[in-house]
Amino acid sequence: MLEIKNLHVKIADEDAEILKGVNLTVPKGEVHAIMGPNGSGKSTLAYVLAGREDYEVTEGEILWNGENLLEMAPDERAAKGVFLAFQYPLEIPGVATMTFLRTAINSVRKGRGEKQLTTPELMKLVRSKAADLGVKDEMLKRALNVGFSGGEKKRMEILQMALLEPSLAVLDETDSGLDIDAVRIVSEGVNRLRGPDKAMLVITHYQRLLNYIVPDKVHVLAHGVVQRSGGKELALELEKSGYAEFSGKAA
Amino acid sequence: MTVQLVRTKAEDALVEQFTGVESRLPGDASTRKLRKAAIGAFAATGLPHRRIEEWKYTDLRNMLKSVPAPAASGAARLDRGAVDAALGPLAAIDAYRLVFVDGVFAEQLSDRERLPAGAHFQALAEALGRDADWLVDLMTDERGRSRPVLDLTTAFMTDGVTLRVSASLDKPILLAFVRAEGEAGAVSVRNFLRFEPGVAATLIEAYVRADGSADEHQTRTASAVHVGAGASVAHVKTAVDGGVHLANLAARLDGEAVYRPFQLTVGGQLARNDIEVVYAGEGGSIDLAGATLLKDRQHCDTTLVVDHAVPQCQSRELFKYVLADEARGIFQGKVIVRPDAQKTDGKQMAQALMLSEAAEFDSKPELEIYADDVVCGHGATVAEIDEEMLFYCQSRGIPAAEARALLTESFVGEAIAKIEDEALRDSLMDMARGWLRG
Repeated sequence: MLEIKNLHVKIADEDAEILKGVNLTVPKGEVHAIMGPNGSGKSTLAYVLAGREDYEVTEGEILWNGENLLEMAPDERAAKGVFLAFQYPLEIPGVATMTFLRTAINSVRKGRGEKQLTTPELMKLVRSKAADLGVKDEMLKRALNVGFSGGEKKRMEILQMALLEPSLAVLDETDSGLDIDAVRIVSEGVNRLRGPDKAMLVITHYQRLLNYIVPDKVHVLAHGVVQRSGGKELALELEKSGYAEFSGKAA
Repeated sequence: MTVQLVRTKAEDALVEQFTGVESRLPGDASTRKLRKAAIGAFAATGLPHRRIEEWKYTDLRNMLKSVPAPAASGAARLDRGAVDAALGPLAAIDAYRLVFVDGVFAEQLSDRERLPAGAHFQALAEALGRDADWLVDLMTDERGRSRPVLDLTTAFMTDGVTLRVSASLDKPILLAFVRAEGEAGAVSVRNFLRFEPGVAATLIEAYVRADGSADEHQTRTASAVHVGAGASVAHVKTAVDGGVHLANLAARLDGEAVYRPFQLTVGGQLARNDIEVVYAGEGGSIDLAGATLLKDRQHCDTTLVVDHAVPQCQSRELFKYVLADEARGIFQGKVIVRPDAQKTDGKQMAQALMLSEAAEFDSKPELEIYADDVVCGHGATVAEIDEEMLFYCQSRGIPAAEARALLTESFVGEAIAKIEDEALRDSLMDMARGWLRG
């Protein structure tokens, strides 16, 4: 279970708070969506969960299965099952995708006390998961994300998610910049990873993605706090009314 | 300007060393005359120093406090296993080997008899004894301008490679220059490599050290390369021999020749790589790249001059430096475009990744353009590890130290990717990885 309690966050070296007391609980087996207007702090929440250094937590805590995530380095969090699919995946020139995947998989396995996979085992695993997502062999040979289209980058994120088998997956605007076919492929990939032991947090500005990844709950984040929570129908309501309702609150 | 009158201890030692070994060095009367002329020129100029523009950042006179005596040959002390161990990842490359131990050809460690019919090899010491004229002519011509380090190399040369390639090679030729175990010594070798028109070939020139070799070694090497019309040559040089490494590469490209040199320098107290390229025919193309990995107080200076003397030629340079601790990397790249050299296409890039605040990178591009219809550009970047990329790697479970190594690897990988031969590229990557995680 993910428990976020009274989380206050600011950018290091700046005064203004971005998150001003977020409370959120995601039980295992559930998918929760976080929606909200631009600049509401959605991506900040995602980064803080993954452990990005340039944010400072001034108050509150984040517990994952009872353990304090805030005390862990990003790679330790990954070993504990945390995975963030980036809104803008980084390009790593000079590192072949397969090399990166091999390093990541075996690092995570090491962190979880599992045995290292041999190169043939890794290749087999990567190829089978890649095929599910329509990631071609040729892409695995290229430098990670370099020259990939927006859709290819997002598929690569979901491939990494499938390979690292997270128990807490955070998807930050995974649908942004994707056409409808790509949204479907990516969503199918995400849905395959749902399971009774897994918790997911799907961050999105638009309701569209939630037609494909149907959430158990929807939370509206605005002005650094969760303003409203509800069932999946809340997303449809927001699609009609927009975020205007939240524009004046808590500023 | 003042003339130098006082010689340093190292300069005196070098001149004395020459007197001591002169009679034992190989070659006929014309070679001896050439050696004397070379040491005479060196005695007059001394070691290059910072007031000479090309040596501004590498003040040899100040940096070389002493010079070890010429090495005694250690050929008998090495077997194939020891050579393989010294070569490291390069040992796995399927290549014809020509091995030199402490500057002397080691027949029993080499594949001389297995060389294909199109590869005509003679060890330099043999050639200077029986067929010296063409070599002496070449070396006399190059002495047209002052190059004290090249003079030293010529004066002291014990051996090297003379190779003429008249048909395309089915696999690379690996020139392995191995420092044997034992006391520190200075080695001087010279290579003469000629590729006939139209041939395709890959040459690997590896400077390595055997287990138990002394740290305070000095290697002086100079290679003259002639790429014939329409020939295509990849020439990968790796220097992982430590100590002091002073290298010169002079290449001449005939029309439509394609030359792809790559230079890897890993560690070493002091390294200087001088590279001179001249286009002698239209349509020639050079793709010159390198990677330099330094730590502690190591120093590596790559200084190149690319001379577009004729029209329609292309040059590309990409050099990458990874600098840790108090290491210092230097790149000086001069591109000359002569008045007739219209349609020249030149691009140069030097990049440094600083792993420490105390490291230093000096980059000096120089474009001398006398023609008007040309495309020439240069750039230099100095950067630290990208924190966002580091976070991305860590978020995928890769610990910070490993992520830094991976990102550094990616930085040098861009240069190493220029090597087309996959097995060779992989072994250079392995050498870089070994350093990063060592």
